[in-house]
Amino acid sequence: MAEAEKDQFEEEETEEESQKGEKRKKIFSKELRCMMYGFGDDQNPYTESVDLIEDLVVEYISEMTKKALEVGRPGRISVEDLIFLIRKDPKKYSRVKELLTMSEELRKARKAFDEIKYATSGTSK
Amino acid sequence: MDQSVSPLLKSPPTPGSSKESSQSDRKETSSKSPRKTQNSESDHDTETETPEKAKAKSPAKAKSSPSADKKRKAETDEEIIAKHAKQEEERLKMQVLVSNFSEDQLNRYEMYRRAAFPKASIKRFMQSITGSAISPNVVIAMAGISKVFVGELVEEALDVLESWGDTGPIQPKHIREAVRILRERGTVPNSKKKKVMFS
Repeated sequence: MAEAEKDQFEEEETEEESQKGEKRKKIFSKELRCMMYGFGDDQNPYTESVDLIEDLVVEYISEMTKKALEVGRPGRISVEDLIFLIRKDPKKYSRVKELLTMSEELRKARKAFDEIKYATSGTSK
Repeated sequence: MDQSVSPLLKSPPTPGSSKESSQSDRKETSSKSPRKTQNSESDHDTETETPEKAKAKSPAKAKSSPSADKKRKAETDEEIIAKHAKQEEERLKMQVLVSNFSEDQLNRYEMYRRAAFPKASIKRFMQSITGSAISPNVVIAMAGISKVFVGELVEEALDVLESWGDTGPIQPKHIREAVRILRERGTVPNSKKKKVMFS
């Protein structure tokens, strides 16, 4: 069982490394370290652990992206597609809803602020 | 995402938007609510139009008369008030908790709130997969989902670490075991395994 797991992970690595031995650049290393500490790991997590989680996150994002491409309008990704894929997972679903609501609120607040600024700058002259 | 931002934004809730969120949260209603949420998500800005458009689109709603809808709307308003009160109470409790944190705890909490995936990197990565443009909302959603994903992984790995009696930073073997457990739960997708149809 453990060997099968190991093979699965080694498969992921050799897929990304080309035959000349180029390594895939880590794109999330700094942020992931802070995130792992925030979620309960040591203040200095092991580099291998960070690498492994980075690989898992990259795989997760690509899986979701590929699935989302098939759902709804094929070939395009919209927020509804992501929400549809997430629907069974309560944590992620509520988090996405919360993020989108807040982003919308911020946008409206910014727009209202800009309108006020525009109005006051017009009358002050 | 700081707590200090929300009081500034606390305008009186418009009935349309609150109805969206309360209906997406309520699970005890009939099958109408998921459909209504999906419709209201697509008409994000036109809040007043949402009820009419939802009525026009979903055929299952032909059952409910306009008076029943109004009654549900009134109930929803009361539920909105109760929900806001509960949210306010939770915020206060959270404030009390955070004010009693030790310095270590404060550090960790700050990292927990602040750490995020850079939107630019996620956008670039997703565009390299799809080859088409990605809207900013999708990037926001994906960044949020990934953070929750990392959280689930790390929490499960910490549980594994404890149950094996180890100490110290998380090691890859804990993470691998956590992935195995989460795959069985369905949290981690796996499309690499060959699906056997009939055996």
